[in-house]
This record gives sequence, structure tokens and C-alpha cells, in this order.
Amino acid sequence: MAEEIKCACDSTNVALFSCSGASNVGQLSNQLAIELTEKGVGKMMCAVGIGGQVTGLLRSAEGCDRIIAIDGCPLNCTKKALELSGLEVDRHILVTDLGITKNKDLRVKGPELSDTLEKVSEILAN
Amino acid sequence: MKIEVLGSGCAKCNKVKEIVEKVVNEAGIDAEIIKVEDINKILDYGVMVTPGLVVDGDVKFAGKIPSEDKVREWLTQ
Repeated sequence: MAEEIKCACDSTNVALFSCSGASNVGQLSNQLAIELTEKGVGKMMCAVGIGGQVTGLLRSAEGCDRIIAIDGCPLNCTKKALELSGLEVDRHILVTDLGITKNKDLRVKGPELSDTLEKVSEILAN
Repeated sequence: MKIEVLGSGCAKCNKVKEIVEKVVNEAGIDAEIIKVEDINKILDYGVMVTPGLVVDGDVKFAGKIPSEDKVREWLTQ
């Protein structure tokens, strides 16, 4: 059972948006956002809700101190969706820049997540 | 007017409620102010970070304490 959430207030809010696209790198970006949320780097939010102009999600993103966008491939859909909604992206991660080639597999392969997570953590720490 | 303050009862959320009550009293607005603490109801609005403010079903902001002037603008426009 999930731990009860008592409050969604933080001294600093960092939003994590991933592309979650229909490819290996899209699904990897989604997994990275989950892992980074669990590590306390930020809070995963719904990128598709930004594209869908869902008011609550837009206001939540606007209320964050920093926005990290994780795109799977150079189509940069996440970054573009955020920017089209007037949201400034502070850090942009591109999974294909991390040594992963895009293909149509939807299952993240065993070591890819941990290897990529390590690289992303290093990037965000600098 | 239905005003919902979203938040689970921490200092920031209580501060927003205080601001809203002050503006409502000063401006003489006929409003029902509700504190929404249920995280599932908060998520139903798509709000991921609190405090938040919903006026007649419209999410005005989330994640920060808004200025009194901003709240006045939202409630009197």
C-alpha cells in the first residue's frame, strides 16, 4: 500500500516531465522520471496534460521553481510542449545523447535504466 | 462564488486561506470558502503541488503563496 501523502508542499518544487513516447527511449524517459521522483530529485508531472492544456497541471508547472524535461529523442516533444505553453525549461535531458539508439521496443532493457539513470544523475548534479 | 483552498493543513496552505478570507471580508464578496485537504480531490483538479486555489472550479494557481493583490484580482474580476 502506498504511503499516505500528507502534504504536497515543498520548500522548493522541481517538476519532472518526460516524453513517455512509443519507443525504447520514450519509455526509458518515463522510467527515468519515475526513478528521479523516487530519489527526491523532483516530482514527476504529466507532460501530456500540458499538451492537453489541463489548467491544474499548467498551474502546477507554473508554480514550480525549476522544470526538468526529459525527452527520448531529438524530436524534443516534451520541451516543445512545455515551451508552447509558456513554461521555461531549466534543464533538458535527451536520452539519445546518452548512448541509447532509438528503436520501436517498448520494454526497457535490463541495464539500460540503471546506466542511464547514473548518467542523468551526474548531469543534474552539475 | 465557491472558493477552494487546496492543501493539507501546513503553514503555506493555512496562509493562503488567511489571505483569501482577508480579501473576501475586505471586498465584501459573497463566497463559500472550503479547505480541501483530501489529496485525491486535489489531484482531481490536476494539481500536483500545493497550496492551490480554485475559484468556481477554475484552478487559479498552485505551488506557491500568491500575493494578496493577485488573490484580490482573481476574486473580483
